[in-house]
Parts: sequence; C-alpha cells; structure tokens
Amino acid sequence: MTTSTTLRPDDLRSVRDALLDTAGTVSITGSGTAADWAGPLGPVDAVLDTTALTGVLTHNPGDMTVSVLAGTPLRTLAEELASHGQHVSFDAARVADGATVGGLVATADAGPAALVFGSLRDLVIGVTMVLADGTVSRSGGHVIKNVAGYDLAKLLHGSYGTLGVLVEVVLRLHPVPKRSATLVVDCSLDEAREHAASLLGGQYEPAALEWISDDGHGQLIVRIDGTADAVSGRLQRLREVLGSGARDASDTGPDAGPDSGADSGADPWARHAALVRGAPGLAVLRIGAKPSLLPGLITDLRADTVTAGLGTGVATVALDPEAVADAHALVHAAGGTSVLRTRPPGSDVPAWGPPPSALAVLKAVKNEFDPLGRFGPGRFAPWLVTPHDAEGSR
Amino acid sequence: MALDGGVRQAFERVLDPADVISNPVKCRAYECDGLTGYRVVPELVLLPRDAAQVAAAVRVCAEHRVPFVARGAGTGLSGGALPVADGVVISLARLKRVLEVDPVNRRAVVEPGVTNLEITAAAAPHGLYYAPDPSSQQVCTIGGNVAENSGGAHCLKYGFTTNHVLSFEVVLPDGSVVTLGTDTGEQAGPDLRGVFLGSEGTLGITTKIVVRLLRTPESVRTLLADFPSVAAAGDVVSDIVAAGIVPAAVEMMDTLAIEAAEEAVHAGYTVGVPAALVVELDGPVEECDVQFEQVKEICDRHGCTRLHIAGSPEERAAIWRGRKAAFAAVGRISPDYFVQDGVVPRTRLAEVLGRIADMGADAGIRVANVFHAGDGNLHPLVLYSAAAGETERAEKLSGQIAELCVELGGSLSGEHGIGTDKACSMPKMFSRDDLAVMARVRSAFDPQGICNPGKVLPTPRLCGERPGKYKPHPLEEAGVIERL
Repeated sequence: MTTSTTLRPDDLRSVRDALLDTAGTVSITGSGTAADWAGPLGPVDAVLDTTALTGVLTHNPGDMTVSVLAGTPLRTLAEELASHGQHVSFDAARVADGATVGGLVATADAGPAALVFGSLRDLVIGVTMVLADGTVSRSGGHVIKNVAGYDLAKLLHGSYGTLGVLVEVVLRLHPVPKRSATLVVDCSLDEAREHAASLLGGQYEPAALEWISDDGHGQLIVRIDGTADAVSGRLQRLREVLGSGARDASDTGPDAGPDSGADSGADPWARHAALVRGAPGLAVLRIGAKPSLLPGLITDLRADTVTAGLGTGVATVALDPEAVADAHALVHAAGGTSVLRTRPPGSDVPAWGPPPSALAVLKAVKNEFDPLGRFGPGRFAPWLVTPHDAEGSR
Repeated sequence: MALDGGVRQAFERVLDPADVISNPVKCRAYECDGLTGYRVVPELVLLPRDAAQVAAAVRVCAEHRVPFVARGAGTGLSGGALPVADGVVISLARLKRVLEVDPVNRRAVVEPGVTNLEITAAAAPHGLYYAPDPSSQQVCTIGGNVAENSGGAHCLKYGFTTNHVLSFEVVLPDGSVVTLGTDTGEQAGPDLRGVFLGSEGTLGITTKIVVRLLRTPESVRTLLADFPSVAAAGDVVSDIVAAGIVPAAVEMMDTLAIEAAEEAVHAGYTVGVPAALVVELDGPVEECDVQFEQVKEICDRHGCTRLHIAGSPEERAAIWRGRKAAFAAVGRISPDYFVQDGVVPRTRLAEVLGRIADMGADAGIRVANVFHAGDGNLHPLVLYSAAAGETERAEKLSGQIAELCVELGGSLSGEHGIGTDKACSMPKMFSRDDLAVMARVRSAFDPQGICNPGKVLPTPRLCGERPGKYKPHPLEEAGVIERL
C-alpha cells in the first residue's frame, strides 16, 4: 500500500458518501497541526481531509452557543465571534497554528485557561459524527443544559480519529473578559509551587497559573480576568502575595488599563505557547498528575523545557526521545497519565504508557463503532490492535 | 418469571444473608423513586456493605442474567431507579463514607451513597465546597448525581456534575471493576468517564468517586426582583447576559409558583406579582460589587416594581428557601402535579412560556412555572386533581410541554433525566440512527443488557411497537442542519 486516496468532503452528506464509497482504512485529518501526536498512523487506503468542512452553521449571540462545521479553524471562529464580545474559553497553543475545532476535540487538547474552563469536553454541548459504516449520529444539542441521551461528544474527545468523523460541533461560549492582566515572577519550580499554593489557597481566582522553563530560566505566569476597575484592585492583591519580584507582563482586552504597558516586551503567553510546541530533536510528552505530585515528577523527568499548570496538574515537557519510555513509567507510577505529542522524525518512541484499567471497555467501544478497524490504525497501538494493524504486522 | 431460589442463594453467599431482602413488604419500599407514578416491586433488594460486595453481587447477576437497578437515595424525578420486574435492586445506601478530603489538590474521594451536601460539609472547614447543587442536595447522593449528571441552580456559571467529577471506580455489568477518568483533565484515550456520566445507571455502578472542590467565593450578592410581566423579567436576563455578566444563578418564578412558595415558607416574596427573579453573583469582592450595580440598573430599566437585596446570609437563605420550596409547595395549591424539565434556548423563554400558558388554558389545566432562567431550563408544574379525573389530561399536557421544548430547538430534559418517564419521547429529539448508536455504546458496556434495562432508550415493549415518529429538528426544517 503505497498510495492513498484523498477525500475532501464539504458537507455532512459528502462525508457519509465518502465513507460509503470507499473501503479499507482511513485517516481523518484536519489542518495537520497534531499529525504526529499519539501512536504513529499505520498505512491507510484513504485520507479524509476535513478542511473543506468549514463555516458557522448557527450563532445566536443571546444564547451564547455556536454550531460550526468541524473543519473550521478555531482562530477563524474566534474572529467571527469577537465582534459579539464572545469567545470559546479555550487557548491551546496550536489554535494559533490553525488547528480545527474537530482536531482540537479529537486530540483532547487544552491550554492554560483549563484552570477555570476545563477542556473542550467541558465546552462542547453537541456533536454530529459519521461512523465508519456511514451512520450519521447526533448527540447533545444546542442548549447548554441537556441530559437527554448519552453524551457521545465525550467519546470523540481524545479519540484521535479512531471512532468517528466529527462533522458538526456545538460549543458553549463565554463573554470575552473586559480586561485580562498578567504578572510574571522569575523563580524556580519550588518557589513557583509555594506561590501557587498561596494563590489557590486564597481568594485570588487566577484565570491561568503556569510555570514555564527553558535553559534553566523559570518563570511563574499568573493571569486574572475581570472588569477594568476590579482587575486593578485584584492585581494589587496579587502583587502583595507574589512579592517584589512580580512584574506586569501584559494587559489586554477592551477595557485594558491605561497603566497597562507591561514592563517587558515579550508576552509570556507567547513564550508559553512556544514551549508547548516543543523543540527540534526532542520528543514532547503531555502529562497529567495530581497538582501536588506534579513538581516532583517534573524534577524527576529532567526535561529540557517545561510548561506546568500548577493548578490543573497538566504539564508539557520536551525530552530526549530515549527518555520517553522511562517517563511514561514514572508518570504512571504517580497515578498520572501521559501521551506522546511530537516524536522526532525516525525515532521509535512509545506513544502511550501502561494501558488504563478500562482497556476492555475501550476495545468494546471501538468494536461497536468501527468493527472493521477502518479509522486511525496505529493511533492507540499497542493498546488497540485492529484487524488492519494485525494484517500489517504479518 | 420469578428468580429461582438458586439465584437468591448465590446472593446470600456473597452478601450477609440478612442483606438480601426478599420480604415483599420490605421490597415495596423500593418500588419507585421520586417519580411515584411508576411502581414495580423488585424481586430482591440487595444491601451491599462495600465495593467488593457490589462487584460480587453484580457478578452473580451477570452469571444468572438477572437484571439489576442501582439505587441511591431514590430522589430521581424520571423513574431512573424504577425496579425491573424479575430483577434486583442494588442499594448503595450503605456505601456512605467520605474517604478523603484533599485541600491541597482541592478534591474529595467519596463513596456513592454520600449525599451531595455532605461533600460540601466535609470540605467547608478547608474553605472549599462542591459546586453542583440540585434542589434535593440534602438527600440526593453523589452516585445518583453521577448517574444523572445533575445540575442545580448554580450550573449556569459552574457547570454540571460532569464538569466536577474527575474519576470514579465502576463495577461494570460483568462484575469487573475499572476506573474511568484520571487525576486531572488530561486523558489517555477517549473520555469514557464523560460518556458514563449521565448514563442514568445503564452502564454500570459507581463505587468510589473523586470530585473537584472549589474555593468558597469571597463574595456572594443576591437579589430578589419583582416584574410586571414574565417578558420584562426575561429581558432582564437577556440584558445581564449581553452585558458580559455570567451570574452564579438566575431563577424565575411566576405568579402561581410565588403564591405556593410564599404560602409554604413565608420567604418574603410578593404574592400577586407576575414574575420574580432571583439573581446571584459571586466571585472576588471587587468584581461582584461592579457587576451587582450593573444588574440593579438593568432591573430598574425594565420596570422592576420591588428590589430586595439580601443584607445578610440569613436573608439570602430565605430567598433561596422560597425558590427551593416551590416544587413541594405547589402541593398546597393543587392536590397533584407533574414536574417537567425541558430546556429551550434562553432567547425563546418568553415564547415558550406564552405557548405553555395557551396550552394550559386549552386543556383547562393550571401550570406554575419556576425555572433556571439563565440556562433556559424550565420546570413547569402541571397542576391537576386525580380525584377530579384530570390525570390523563395533565399527563398529556406535561408530555406536550417537553416535546414543545424540543420543537423550539431545546431538549427533553435539563437535569432530571430521561429514565422511564421520557424514554418514549426520545424519538422526538433523536433519529433512529442516533438512538441506535447510543445503543451501541450501551452494548459495549453491557452486552447482556442487564444493567437498568428499559431506561433512557425507547424499547418496543415500553413504548409500543411504533415509538412516536421522528419530527424534524427546527434547524433541520430551516435547512441549517441536515439529517441524511
């Protein structure tokens, strides 16, 4: 199998027809910003490219919900929503690279805003998907409060293109904060941990709280969101906790303060996003663990670069590819989870750690949704070995 | 067909025989949940004492293909815990330990029989609380909350059970024990935790649950405002949202609901006004103060006839007591009532209330409304007298209201669940294929079909050979979405 057909459907019907008209394995791709995340894709007969599935289907600002075709880049959607003072409260680094809504759901990605708003599993309120046999399935709906039927959006969240093609996604929206201000403190991970404990243990309500590090230069970044005047007062309270090392780093939003300026030119959130993307020659591992265990884990991993959500317990680290297998084991021993994101070309790096206790359920769901193993062969190797994987290995 | 004696003995081998209840009089106590119109006396009731016993009991069920229904406090309002004839009820009432409160990681580990409010009570000494607050929070259990994905008055800002539960230990319908979810929002693979949440006890039984705790807000401001019309109150809600404010709660009550609540608890509501709003803001004191002024201004702009600001925690509690008492209080103005739980897009609130009023007038049935205005979740209370022979008419009206919500682009249920009550209405909201795919999920977890059978998804036995015909979604009719 050396060549594969590319299918580029532009609506629900053509997605279904594309799957009905073809046989064999299919890889589902969006804008390709996470193509090398999770397990390496095996050879496929067809590529289903979702990037023609674009556009807003419905947006009623008063309801603060939007439905959108899944191939729409989130940043494009953000531009459309901005004029209404609304946004999707989600800030994964690859949004800026053009990641699609469907791709962000399928990879369970999230950014620093997850501290308050969670990931897309907390913001998606309805989906339409097409299964490998062409079945069109909807769940959820267009209202934020809805418990009718099973929530299939959750199954697609983190499915890496192995269960179905997301075609339409309905998202809950939030108002864009009138003002977002960020403070930074140069500090070690230990100091950052202490600051984080004070902030999370008191009445500060940080909107994001991350420690980042590369080349041995560590920095705690704290953002607060709110209304113009209130943010000024809250910033002052933050400075009192963080001490004299705290600097104003950015101040944005429609009502950003006149004193905004920011002491230093570089936006710490841009640096954060760059570190999440990784570095040439290194493997990127995404890990999650109880926040209290995270700093110790990070220290033990001896990562080259780190972004660590001290409140969320989620970190992204860049490692020597040789160190990844041990890193999976270390994270798992702490009760955490890990998944490989970027793998350096040519390296054979394990994507997943030990399998979850519910592996049998995962296999059963895969078998119900995609019994022929058409979608995303290899993505969950070695946990899921589909008929096609087995064939390929013979 | 009754369970044979061998099955009962098998349960008695894995549980203390005294914990296997077969006396029909005692079993009768489990014949229904909060939706009392449906009753089935179970063959046996099992009262396991720990997770291992739950798993052992389920293994017996799996081996003998005995259907089982998990039950918490039995406060559900959709018949989700309705027993199955020839099946067993597995009560989680004895699994009620708070295993751990971890203030550093802001989480608690609890057993499923712990009540919602007990979690907050255990967390309170650390300045933390568990956010979802269904009206029944004093008695409803966290296991039931996970099964139903329960909401509450504050979920507009804080979300639902699914947003606050990190992971849980589950006994699957084959008796095996797994953990769904992780210690963080990070997942390794699809979110099986999320699909289990809200599955109404059809995919397994939780035996240990890890919940997130939030810091008790620094400031809480609550007001009660009267309005000359439901539409004016609705406009206030729209304007609050348009101002970029996400209130902790926005609740609305109409004349009948106010009258009932006031008669019951004397909470200081104005009897006779067409509509009352409860608006609550919380957060950092600076933010709350700014936004509270904005809310007061918006209320004035829409002809607010009385604005009562809670000046103390006691006054705040009184406002909430009135709101939360409304359901039960309706019993004072009507001998019987049905509660509905449909959701509409918030912008269609005034329209749906008008339609409900018309439908009630046509049917000669009074409908009181008390609802979560911020998220469009209605709770119409359909008032009737069984003695006067109004049951059938009221039940029909109640079903029509739920289906009207779907017609307006909403949902059959915002928080009570589908259960037994609305399973036959599911084809109004979902296509045959949608439901078939949900059935595939069910089959993946429960291939034998023994876990709370007959709930959520319509079955020919439950709904007749031909469940209601699918009606196109309004967005479909408008050509915005398509169903192939």
